[in-house]
Amino acid sequence: MDEETRTSDAAWALGEVRARQQQVIDQATIPAWYWWAVGVLMVVLAVGVDIRTSAAIGTAVPVFVVGLLAATGAAVRGQFRQARLRNGLLDGRGVAAILGFVALIVGGTLGIAFALRAGGVHYPATLACAAGGIVMGLGGPVLMRTLRRIMLGNRAGSPR
Amino acid sequence: MTDARFDELIHPPTRLAIVSLLAASQWADFKFIRDSIGLSDSALSKQLTTLEQAEYVEIHKGFVGKRPRTSARLTPAGRTAFEQHVAALQDMVARSGMRIAPQ
Repeated sequence: MDEETRTSDAAWALGEVRARQQQVIDQATIPAWYWWAVGVLMVVLAVGVDIRTSAAIGTAVPVFVVGLLAATGAAVRGQFRQARLRNGLLDGRGVAAILGFVALIVGGTLGIAFALRAGGVHYPATLACAAGGIVMGLGGPVLMRTLRRIMLGNRAGSPR
Repeated sequence: MTDARFDELIHPPTRLAIVSLLAASQWADFKFIRDSIGLSDSALSKQLTTLEQAEYVEIHKGFVGKRPRTSARLTPAGRTAFEQHVAALQDMVARSGMRIAPQ
């Protein structure tokens, strides 16, 4: 095999290495619908909190818990059946992105809810969770794209 | 920094694809590897056995409920060999001045 052929073969092999690792990363991505589902469930729970009757709470809490478990199970089922991502793919930037997203949703939702309540607005938890749910639905896929980019950068064969 | 070492056992296209999938995984299901690469059960078994004999891969056979499930993972030696092989490929490409387009 001459030098040029060897180099072309090496370039092809590197492309293959990266593409195959990308397959594993892509199968582990949480689908966009999951974030909207969690957002809707947050609103359901908040309606129960705002109405404050036993019937409302007794309905909202089970719907939230069962819905969250079902949605999470469906979203991550692929990972448990197909392949589990290697821990090293997600570095400190990924962890920071996840924590930042959680802080944004929790902090933002609580902040809006308390502000609305202080202002005497009806259904403050519902309105705040609706806002938080929209951020969740729109921001979840952005978080996934960020994590995917980080993992693709950390896979073997990425530019050094 | 990883030492570069071209690995003849890993380099053939099918084994390179298998090891690359496993390199991004803690473990991968047999069916996932088979379907991702487009191999028959017997062809994949043969390649996994070759990698297992080289102590690059561990194969785990178990049950989920009543269903048998086979999974595979890279051993530490397999991961090191893969990383050294990738470093060797990168060196070959870098020496030529070629660039791999980002995916």
